[in-house]
Amino acid sequence: MDKLLEVKNLKLYYHTSKGAVRALDDVSFDLYKGETLGLVGESGCGKTTTGVALLKMPSPPGRIEPGSQIILDGRDIMPLPEKEIRKNVRWEEVAMVFQGAMNCLTPVYTIGKQMLETLQEHRDMDKAQAEELIKEYLGLVGLPPEVMGRYPHELSGGMKQRIVIATALFLKPKLVILDEPTTALDVIVQAQIINLLKKLKKTFDLSFIFITHDLSLEAEVSDRICVMYAGKIAELGTNQQIYGEQGPMHPYTEKLLQATPLLHKKVDSLSYIPGTPPDLIDPPKGCRFHPRCHKAMDKCSQEEPPLLEVEPGHMVACWRCGK
Amino acid sequence: MSMKDVGYRFKEFWDDFRKETSGLIGLGILVLSLVVVLFEPVFLPFKDVDGNWRNISYWQDSPPAAPPAWTNLFAAEKSATTAYLNDPIVEDVDDPDFGLARVYTFKYNYKYDKSPLDIIFRAKGDGMLFMNLSVIRPDGETVYLGQVYEDGLAGDDIRFTVDTDARSSVYEFIRAHASEEAIANSDSSNVKATDIIFAKAGADMLSAREPLKGEYLYKVTIPASLFEDEANRIDEAKLIVTGRVSGVLGTDTSKRDIYSGIIAGLKWALFIGLVTSVISVLVGVLYGIISAYFGGTTDTIMSFIFEVFVSMPMLPILIVLSATFKPSIWIIIGAMIVFYWVGPVKTVRSMALQIKEETYIEAAKALGAGKWRIIFKHMAPILLPYSFANMALSVPGAIVAESSLSLLGLGDPSIISWGQILHDAQLSGATLNGLWWWIVPPGLFIAVMGMTFAFLGFAMDKILHPKLRTR
Amino acid sequence: MSDKSNDVLLEVKDLKKHFAPHQSLAQTLSGKNRRVVKAVDGVSFSIHRGEIFGLIGESGSGKTTTGKLVMKLIDPTSGSIVFNGEDVTVTDKERTQAYRRQVQMIFQDPYASMNPRFKIKDVMDEPLVIHKIEGDHVEHEKMIIKALTEVKLNPPEEFMGRYPHMLSGGQRQRIATARTLILNPMMLVADEPVSMIDLSTRAEILHMMKDVQRDLGLTYLYITHDLSTARYFTDRIAVMYLGRIVEMGRAEDLIDNPLHPYTKALIEAVPEPRTGKVDVIKELPISGEIPSPANIPSGCRFHTRCPYAKPECSSEAEPELMDVGNGHFHACRRYKEI
Repeated sequence: MDKLLEVKNLKLYYHTSKGAVRALDDVSFDLYKGETLGLVGESGCGKTTTGVALLKMPSPPGRIEPGSQIILDGRDIMPLPEKEIRKNVRWEEVAMVFQGAMNCLTPVYTIGKQMLETLQEHRDMDKAQAEELIKEYLGLVGLPPEVMGRYPHELSGGMKQRIVIATALFLKPKLVILDEPTTALDVIVQAQIINLLKKLKKTFDLSFIFITHDLSLEAEVSDRICVMYAGKIAELGTNQQIYGEQGPMHPYTEKLLQATPLLHKKVDSLSYIPGTPPDLIDPPKGCRFHPRCHKAMDKCSQEEPPLLEVEPGHMVACWRCGK
Repeated sequence: MSMKDVGYRFKEFWDDFRKETSGLIGLGILVLSLVVVLFEPVFLPFKDVDGNWRNISYWQDSPPAAPPAWTNLFAAEKSATTAYLNDPIVEDVDDPDFGLARVYTFKYNYKYDKSPLDIIFRAKGDGMLFMNLSVIRPDGETVYLGQVYEDGLAGDDIRFTVDTDARSSVYEFIRAHASEEAIANSDSSNVKATDIIFAKAGADMLSAREPLKGEYLYKVTIPASLFEDEANRIDEAKLIVTGRVSGVLGTDTSKRDIYSGIIAGLKWALFIGLVTSVISVLVGVLYGIISAYFGGTTDTIMSFIFEVFVSMPMLPILIVLSATFKPSIWIIIGAMIVFYWVGPVKTVRSMALQIKEETYIEAAKALGAGKWRIIFKHMAPILLPYSFANMALSVPGAIVAESSLSLLGLGDPSIISWGQILHDAQLSGATLNGLWWWIVPPGLFIAVMGMTFAFLGFAMDKILHPKLRTR
Repeated sequence: MSDKSNDVLLEVKDLKKHFAPHQSLAQTLSGKNRRVVKAVDGVSFSIHRGEIFGLIGESGSGKTTTGKLVMKLIDPTSGSIVFNGEDVTVTDKERTQAYRRQVQMIFQDPYASMNPRFKIKDVMDEPLVIHKIEGDHVEHEKMIIKALTEVKLNPPEEFMGRYPHMLSGGQRQRIATARTLILNPMMLVADEPVSMIDLSTRAEILHMMKDVQRDLGLTYLYITHDLSTARYFTDRIAVMYLGRIVEMGRAEDLIDNPLHPYTKALIEAVPEPRTGKVDVIKELPISGEIPSPANIPSGCRFHTRCPYAKPECSSEAEPELMDVGNGHFHACRRYKEI
């Protein structure tokens, strides 16, 4: 399979008055064409930051550190000037559906007007053409064309999320980053949106990066799962490797899964991970997870475990899982 | 909240505040004003100005409509400034008329081109007193001024002014020196006694006067035998040289020292401004919170009342009120509060509507908290910092409103306010007569006080308002 | 726990809450009445002593409004609430206050439920002050420390002087729980208590809440949209749709053997951490979204989305809850056919 995206040694630090917050510290992964890669982890682990970094738009005081490489379709976009990124990369090749974007629609304009504006910003087309296109995309996300004349407050959360997704697809990007696209939605609507995303992916031959904190949801959408902890990748494996019989290898992933309540299985007691994620200005020495880890040994607090491939396509950063 | 938290919050506020230059300027002026108010006697040349502003006899020793003393710096001919000589030399000497006599000598160094307007001797006496008054000039000439004889005194004032009481005596002095011709040509009623005393003696001293500079000795001679009776006493003997220019800011036509008036008016300006704004803003904040919290019909009615007050013009009503009732500062402050409380209501109400929806308000309700606890414990502490800015911003309005009323002659006569000084100036046609020192300073002070609080208010508003600082 | 009243602690009967939309004077005069929003439209259930009762529903189902009605934060339009054998639907100030001591609430966002300007000590002290609990500062402090120990915040003294923003989400929810416990309530209403908390600590909070419930013999009304935690946490579940309960039963029964088509759809839609579903488009028995509570369909209110709906579902009267035995109730007249 061809690689659409290669991320190498990605570092993004927020330079605050108290010191550098190492939000992303040496993150490397690949994304194949037509694949959905899931990013999971607790809040503050760097999932959203990764998405934002791929668009090369960290919010100040964040900065992508030198040495980071983001290779999109064979071209490293890191050295590209901002103008070029804006013209040819952002939204054109990589689009992002931000968390809560559906609540960021302007309340005073109709949906049609807002979509039209976005479209005409990037494409040189007259109003009639643009409106045709909008109707087509609304149809694709399962909305009737009348929606164009509605205001955001007249629509339900699911409908608004569909509009946000349609808008992200306008410019035919190759990669769409979806940041918690269903978090604020009810389960049935969530399932509808997930079904829609799966269909759209086939229709447009898209690749997804699917960011969520919900391990169960990730199991239903992502071909490969990347588990992040404290700005680093803890485990990266295929859906089968993470959710299959044998189960995940990293103690963090293992515990997260055990903490997930199951609908069809009554358990007497769920496990949980004691403590809270570390301060990223001064992360713990050695493995960043060791203070909360039930399998920690002496070495874990001394040396940082490298992300090693323990079986084909399965990378784990844990001293317990070395070959 | 413990003291430590208050301290912490204040430090946080101060860190922001000190970045605001205008706020610091405002704070500087305010602190200066407070120092002046606290140590008012130090700054007041006339200590008893408060109660005596409208007492004509209190000001009788001052010159009328005299420009500030410092105008001498810009004048070609220097005018005598007002001087107070409080420490006479007291000695017993042999006097040709009285035999042994007690003599009070005041030394006055005259170095000006224009003579003082008057020289006034003042003392307090008991029993029977008899005294001769005279001046020994630098050229050795003695000018006999006159006599004072008083009986049955009981701590009463003795006052002898050269300008009125020594007129005829001084005329004797002219006759002794000036030529017959000149005397015949002059009108004795036109001659100012002090002009003669401080001029070189000579035949043409009436027409071409030249100042005689040097040390003058003003002598008060009392027969020593008088004091053998202990009932006869003289105390607090002092000499006032009434200058042609006077004080820091001159005097008005009623001889009042304008600088004293302005310093004494400062505390009233602050008092009126602060009392009005603090009370009205507190009322407004509470009104806004209550209106928002209760909502429904209460809110509708309260909003209606608010609208009525907002749409009423304040000044005309204040004028009617002051004209109907005896003008009193309390009525004026009360009336201003009645109109000023509306200031913060609208903003506070909208902010309170937001806070009301916060989960912690609901949580407090679920815990059983009553409405007043929620209003005072949960909502007011968050909205109060905002109202501090509002308070500062409404001070100038109150000061100006009081001044406007006073300017219209509707102020409280028992206090001194800058507006009243302006009112008096206007009545006396100060502008027409060029008495600028009567008009500019009070006007300027009103403006500066307003600006001070506006600066403070803007700076505080910027810091406290944008975020509610809850998170 | 041998009580004569069949151990029922809270009984809610035909509870309704209709919100009349705010109208301007002109609208009222012109007679153009806007539609009434029927947030809760005839809900009945009872909670036994020492039980954890789950109220499940999507947004707009009326579950939160039901919680607020039980908390007496809002007044019902009609219906009754009987607590501990006493009708508390309409109460005077004193009885409301007494009720508030016995029934406490935990909110979804533990941070938002504490005044950000209060220290933990003040947050905890508030119920004691409100209910004029006797004792001086030292005694109050002892009670606070005891409550903090109950929710396993150790050492409790360390938390007293902190502000809510200095704590993690889990610690805040512990504080929020401790605050409700300090008055020794009989029942807690927990509205989505863990939905804002990270997955890794979510179970920890649920554990803590369960421990507290067991230790103190509490009764919970657990309001959530999350079937999975409800299955884990509750004894019985009621599923709400558009202001009404459509199915109610023991947690296992209801989830393993749902009878109402809406419950079935809900269960179907829940994702599970199992592999092999990536390329599968999930079969969803129902389409569309929940209608507006201002415009409730006639007949069975679910018929507009029900795949099994027949004409009689919309024309006939709304089905009441029916017992199929074993305490399992449902409101679908065609349940046997589906």
